[in-house]
Amino acid sequence: MNMFLHELKAYRKSTIIWTCSLVALVVLFLSMFPAFSKEATAFKEIMKGFPEPVRKSLGLSVDSMSSILGFYSYMFLYTTLCGAIQAMNLGTSIISKEVRAKTADFLLTRPVTRGAVMTSKLMAALTCLVITNLIYLASSSIMASVVATEKYSYKIFFMISITLFFVQLMFLALGIVISVLVPKIKSVLPISLGTVFAFFIIGMFVATTGDDAMRYITPFKYFDANYILKNTSYEISFIITEIGFIAFAITASYFVYYKKDVHSA
Amino acid sequence: MNVIEIKNLTKNYGKARGITDVSFNVYEGEIFGFIGPNGAGKSTTIRTLLSLIYPTSGSATIFGKDCKEFGPEIRQEIGYLPSEIFYYDNMKVIDLLKYSASFYKKDCSKRIIELAQIMDLDLNKKIDDLSFGNKKKVGIVQGLLHSPKLIILDEPTSGLDPLMQQKFFELLEEENKKGATILLSSHILSEVQRLCTRVAIIKEGKIIKLDKISTLQENNHKRFKIEMKSKIDENYFNFSGVTNLDIKGNIINFLFSGNINFIMKKISEIEIANLWIEEPDLEEIFMHYYEKED
Repeated sequence: MNMFLHELKAYRKSTIIWTCSLVALVVLFLSMFPAFSKEATAFKEIMKGFPEPVRKSLGLSVDSMSSILGFYSYMFLYTTLCGAIQAMNLGTSIISKEVRAKTADFLLTRPVTRGAVMTSKLMAALTCLVITNLIYLASSSIMASVVATEKYSYKIFFMISITLFFVQLMFLALGIVISVLVPKIKSVLPISLGTVFAFFIIGMFVATTGDDAMRYITPFKYFDANYILKNTSYEISFIITEIGFIAFAITASYFVYYKKDVHSA
Repeated sequence: MNVIEIKNLTKNYGKARGITDVSFNVYEGEIFGFIGPNGAGKSTTIRTLLSLIYPTSGSATIFGKDCKEFGPEIRQEIGYLPSEIFYYDNMKVIDLLKYSASFYKKDCSKRIIELAQIMDLDLNKKIDDLSFGNKKKVGIVQGLLHSPKLIILDEPTSGLDPLMQQKFFELLEEENKKGATILLSSHILSEVQRLCTRVAIIKEGKIIKLDKISTLQENNHKRFKIEMKSKIDENYFNFSGVTNLDIKGNIINFLFSGNINFIMKKISEIEIANLWIEEPDLEEIFMHYYEKED
């Protein structure tokens, strides 16, 4: 518990900053909706002028854009991008910062197992993400109900919003695996930003091809907003893949961390 | 009873040298010195004891329990002071010490205040703002605050001023009297000489000598300096047991190890003007072991 609280405290500031940015992003985007929906037909005409691959890669769906959910699911792509960076940063740094700050010696000479260290850190990271998501969910729900011009399904809104958490979980797991595998990470940002943007760009590319199998490559395409809009459900195969990936990544991280030699500075 | 038992401990770092076949025991209640030059394998051995790194082969037990298997349980009773101190920079000293204390199953708050007073440490400063020596003090308090049964020190005095070193040694002796066993790794011989009862010398990853400090000093060598009244045969003192023979005019210098009566008889047979017999200090013995294999 002491380690968990210590980690929470260490990540308090960054969690607050990330949460605020996400909230600001959704408030800003959704506040444009009233103006957008008024001129919806005009916008549709403009968008039709874009070539189809461009529309697809940006996630623009002409038909649904005028509804609040369609509009929201378009902007949501950027929310997940932002959230993915947060999760990846968290995952990459939470183990590796002890090596970088040379405090691993201190922590690992306490009477605790490495498993306990890993669990505390993992739980702290999860807590940060949960807090971020709760606040995001609350503020985006309020904002959506304020700007909505007609009735919309809150269930679908919720289902789309919560995929932020699912995507974050994958990047968190990926970050943790990288941080235990790489002997010494000098700087977290290049790794986390690089990885997230690489997956984001792959995602844009995958959207233009429309190849379903390719969607398994990038977490950004696991939860297709249009599919959720139509079916009010997630795609099971992607959920299974996600659970499998996370379970594998976390197990591997524990395993490697247990066996690892901790070298002195 | 042995607090630490190390058997044929080997650690390879790829091609780089680690330690080879290191074996020694540390008895309960003793202060054991572990000396050797930089990079000889002192820290590697200690890090294996703390299971920060895992041995390639061989084993190490502390309190009769395997280091790797029972690591967390063993570390409950170990205080460790690393050679280089790094702590969470943005924490206050007191917060770090409290965090450290929170890992142990006892109340350490009193001991923290006590130790901080002895070491003259300001508890309300940020760790980031501390000098190297003051960080070392944080390390000392951190290592001792839970009154461990085994204290492992890796080059503990670097950065401390002589006054603080003195206080620190007194603190260690006090802990030792209370029953704590101490493993002191160092390359500073005077501190080993002052504190330790037994010593292991490590060189290039191998233990080359393990003995009581007193035995190392007594049995091995005496430094002789003889001033002659007249010149004698250069080979008069050239017999087995004599090393470093140096004759400059009437002054003869050498180290002798062996039966002291024999050398005294030899000396009594010649006319001498003056005679000095000294204990060589550990430094000389130490250098002696180091140079021997070169």
